[in-house]
Amino acid sequence: MNISRRNFTKLLAGAGTFAAMSQMGRMSAQAATISSFRATVGIFLYGGNDSWNMIVPTDGRYAGYANARGPGLAIPQASLVPLAGSSFGLHPAMAALKPVWEKGGMSAVLNTGTLYVPLNKTLYTAQPDLRPVNLLSHSDEQAHWQGLRARDTAVDGFLGRLNDRMAQDSFAPVMSFAGSDLILLGKQRQALVLPVAGGLTRNGANTGSPQNAPGAREAAMSVFANASDQGMIFQQTSTAVKQAYALADPLNDALLKAPGGTDAYFIDPSTNLPLSSGIAKQLMRVARMVASRSTLGHGRQAFFASQGGYDTHSAQASGNATTGSHAALLKDLALALAGFYNAMASMGLQESVTAFTMSDFGRTLRSNGSVGTDHGWGGNHIVVGGGLKPFTVHGRYPDTTLGGADDSDGQGRFIPTISQEEYIGSIMRWHGVPASDMSYIMPNWETWSSNGRGPVPFFA
Amino acid sequence: MGSNSFLAIGTAGLVAAAAATTVIVTQTPSATTATAPATTAVVTDGDAARLAKQATFGPTPAVIARIKALGIDGWLDEQFAARTSSFEDLAGLAVRNSYCSIEEKANPYCTRIRRDSVLPAMRFYSNALNNDDQLRQRVALALFNIMPVSALKVSDTAALARYQQIMLDNAFGNFGDLLKSVITSGAMGSYLDHANSTAAARNENFGRELVQLFSIGTNKMNADGWLRRDKSTGAFEANYTPKDVSEISRALTGWTYTRFPNTRPTDTGVSDLSRPMVMNAVAFDAGSKTFLGSTIPAGGTPETNVDAVVKRLVGDFSMSPRITLLLIRALVKSNPSPDYINRASRAFRNNGKGVAGDLRALVRAILTDPEARTPDLTAKGGKLKDPILLSLALARAVNMKSDGYAFTVRDVQMGQQFLRAPSIFNDYPDDYPVAGSTKYVSGPSKLMTVPLIMERHNFVWQWAMNGDVARAEYQTPNWVPNRSPTVQDWAQWEAFGDDVSGMVDRIDLLLLNKSMTETQRAALTKAMTLVTDPSPALRARRRAQTGLFIVASSPQFQIDR
Repeated sequence: MNISRRNFTKLLAGAGTFAAMSQMGRMSAQAATISSFRATVGIFLYGGNDSWNMIVPTDGRYAGYANARGPGLAIPQASLVPLAGSSFGLHPAMAALKPVWEKGGMSAVLNTGTLYVPLNKTLYTAQPDLRPVNLLSHSDEQAHWQGLRARDTAVDGFLGRLNDRMAQDSFAPVMSFAGSDLILLGKQRQALVLPVAGGLTRNGANTGSPQNAPGAREAAMSVFANASDQGMIFQQTSTAVKQAYALADPLNDALLKAPGGTDAYFIDPSTNLPLSSGIAKQLMRVARMVASRSTLGHGRQAFFASQGGYDTHSAQASGNATTGSHAALLKDLALALAGFYNAMASMGLQESVTAFTMSDFGRTLRSNGSVGTDHGWGGNHIVVGGGLKPFTVHGRYPDTTLGGADDSDGQGRFIPTISQEEYIGSIMRWHGVPASDMSYIMPNWETWSSNGRGPVPFFA
Repeated sequence: MGSNSFLAIGTAGLVAAAAATTVIVTQTPSATTATAPATTAVVTDGDAARLAKQATFGPTPAVIARIKALGIDGWLDEQFAARTSSFEDLAGLAVRNSYCSIEEKANPYCTRIRRDSVLPAMRFYSNALNNDDQLRQRVALALFNIMPVSALKVSDTAALARYQQIMLDNAFGNFGDLLKSVITSGAMGSYLDHANSTAAARNENFGRELVQLFSIGTNKMNADGWLRRDKSTGAFEANYTPKDVSEISRALTGWTYTRFPNTRPTDTGVSDLSRPMVMNAVAFDAGSKTFLGSTIPAGGTPETNVDAVVKRLVGDFSMSPRITLLLIRALVKSNPSPDYINRASRAFRNNGKGVAGDLRALVRAILTDPEARTPDLTAKGGKLKDPILLSLALARAVNMKSDGYAFTVRDVQMGQQFLRAPSIFNDYPDDYPVAGSTKYVSGPSKLMTVPLIMERHNFVWQWAMNGDVARAEYQTPNWVPNRSPTVQDWAQWEAFGDDVSGMVDRIDLLLLNKSMTETQRAALTKAMTLVTDPSPALRARRRAQTGLFIVASSPQFQIDR
């Protein structure tokens, strides 16, 4: 590896090891069996994306959608961006993804959500103990998506558990540009959280005239950081701080020396202006880390990114159904994903990288009267990458009759027909997770890989 | 609440006039401490500093002296009575939506003054730094963090200020009165969309978070904080169903914003979010509602429905342990023992006079409990300071004077911007898992990522080691009314001269509540003593800065025990 290792400060000496370093060079079965590079990018849309307006049927089912939704929120049929070869269209604010779809670099999946076991309305009604617990709660449903334990408390998440089983170099191959969350916590390791802008500098690490005695200062800091018998929170904090001090310089090098040529692809094609949204900045950095994969020693990478603001209980549309706060979010997402796809293509890696969305839940198909929508359950998701089977919308669009066969309660809260694990599991398998590791990363995998259930067939 | 003065000042006339949820007999506060052990013993310096970490925004020599002089109960009594902090003047800045584009069109800073979080955030920090009603403010912050509003949606200076005033006014009152003030506040009505929720098309956003976040929580909780599990399935027992949320949301229809005076019914943009909401009878769902095993008969008013909802929530068995647990996590420790939760939550369920929801009784029980008053040296001990508490504790230790502006520049960089939380779930969940542990939680640890650890470290470097240079954030912009620069007081440290031992003692007391080990003291003394400068005053200052930096950047200071 080419990263400067200078200044793995004295703080580290005698401090024991921390996970990422102690695991350096570990090779797992999955790395040995697949030789070509692959990366996955999970994008969490915090708040619960109103995805019934993201993917909309363009055939005879449109009328049912529009009728249940109401005129203030239903996207007019004529303004949908058609997904050629399918019976669905995209929200007009997501037109930036049309060329990606037409290159075969995008898929959609319908009515996907958190499930513990396969459910239909009869079973849903008869056996509440088979439902995920605390449906409709942001925090619980986020945990169900990230931890994949639909009926229990999760203290770790699937990208963290993936990290546990991935080959490690000096930097963890699972990285977040969206801060920390449950999804990143492993049983043995933590993913690396990186800044979305700028580098990492520790004041006072290498500077100071002799009259300020920097050596004795750092030595005293080490004594304080290594205090023993201070409890679990102290130990974890101390470990995290020491790891951060040790990684600051090499990570700074990695971030700032990463080739930035891919940034140029993150533009709004309608204005030719560079993208400035949070999700665009995150994916820009993801692209740089993919470009740096050899330097970083990564044969596989997984990334976490996020976009907030999707809890659209009121005024999600304003002006007309195609504009407003929800449209603005979807536009930022689509522009960033299109830029990311083009950035990958510029390196010839579009088939090696797959990005996919997650969200707390879908929302009620029925409007709540505040030009908004309340918490739902199943929803639609999009996947972007050149390795996907082209022109395919997976899954079954629900019966949009309020109170009908697929609606759990009359508001258009649809019982998912595809579980979050069938969705994510497909991408994990593509990522290279061997069958023997699937149950570690996805604790409920047995349920979702037997009796006719299995990963969504995204990949060609 | 013992005195109705809190209610009369901060909350809606309509709420003050509404039927009280509880009957309260005014007695001396000490009557509420039946479950707490006697705490009249001599208070040591270290004990006083530990209490100050839990009950103030950071120990100072004055606070420590006061606690020692009055004893713990006496000091708590004084704190319960103190109220010097106010947001009332900022709550008076309410204007129509068009104000900055019409009346004050010429003022380029009108929006920052009238429609932003910066002035109330500055006020929060300056109050916390300087004012004596420390415990009231600390509890108000804890309550605000349970039920926050954010300027990301409510960009209204007056509404944000009024909401802070509600937290201060109710910090030692009854939790039910607090909930009523929150339900009817214009800021919350806007933030969670129940303003203008109607019978025809109710909005469930607020109703859901009222039960999930503000009161009883998602799962049934025993008095000792244990989450109950269904015996047959092993799953947690849900506290409510989607139907309960719908019914509660129906009961909370019929509220709308107060409008500015002299406006026509057709005028838009004339809502005054700094005022309590008012009833709008035609939008109210007057039918009967059944939720959580209780029924509101048909024919009530929005007011009587609010009373009924609040009464049901405050009477819920899970409410007391859950709010107790959240306040313990905010003030004392992240992983309290079941016994501690049980003792404190019993005081909240019944303050000794049959009243549930007495926050004063709860705060007293939390802070006088043996588990709070004795350092927990076991694996479960400790509470990580979040960025707001970190910056204030450091600033108070160095005797900083500030109008608060400097803090509003730095908190966002460390991942926690006061009054601008990303969502109703705030900056971190109280039960974020300690990585690698299956049973311990530490909410603020969610913010301990590599970039944010660097921000914290560099913050301490810049305000301690380099605290005496002209920092940009120390100069408040000209447009801020009544501004004053941020200054630090290095004279108190220069007065130590070459007495490094005395400086170390002071740092040990203020930052570590006298928990420094001999090994640490030796290393710290060496690092400070080796700092030299020809000027005796500057030498003393640099040594103090070095010592403050080393200790304030250490996990031992950042985790209160």
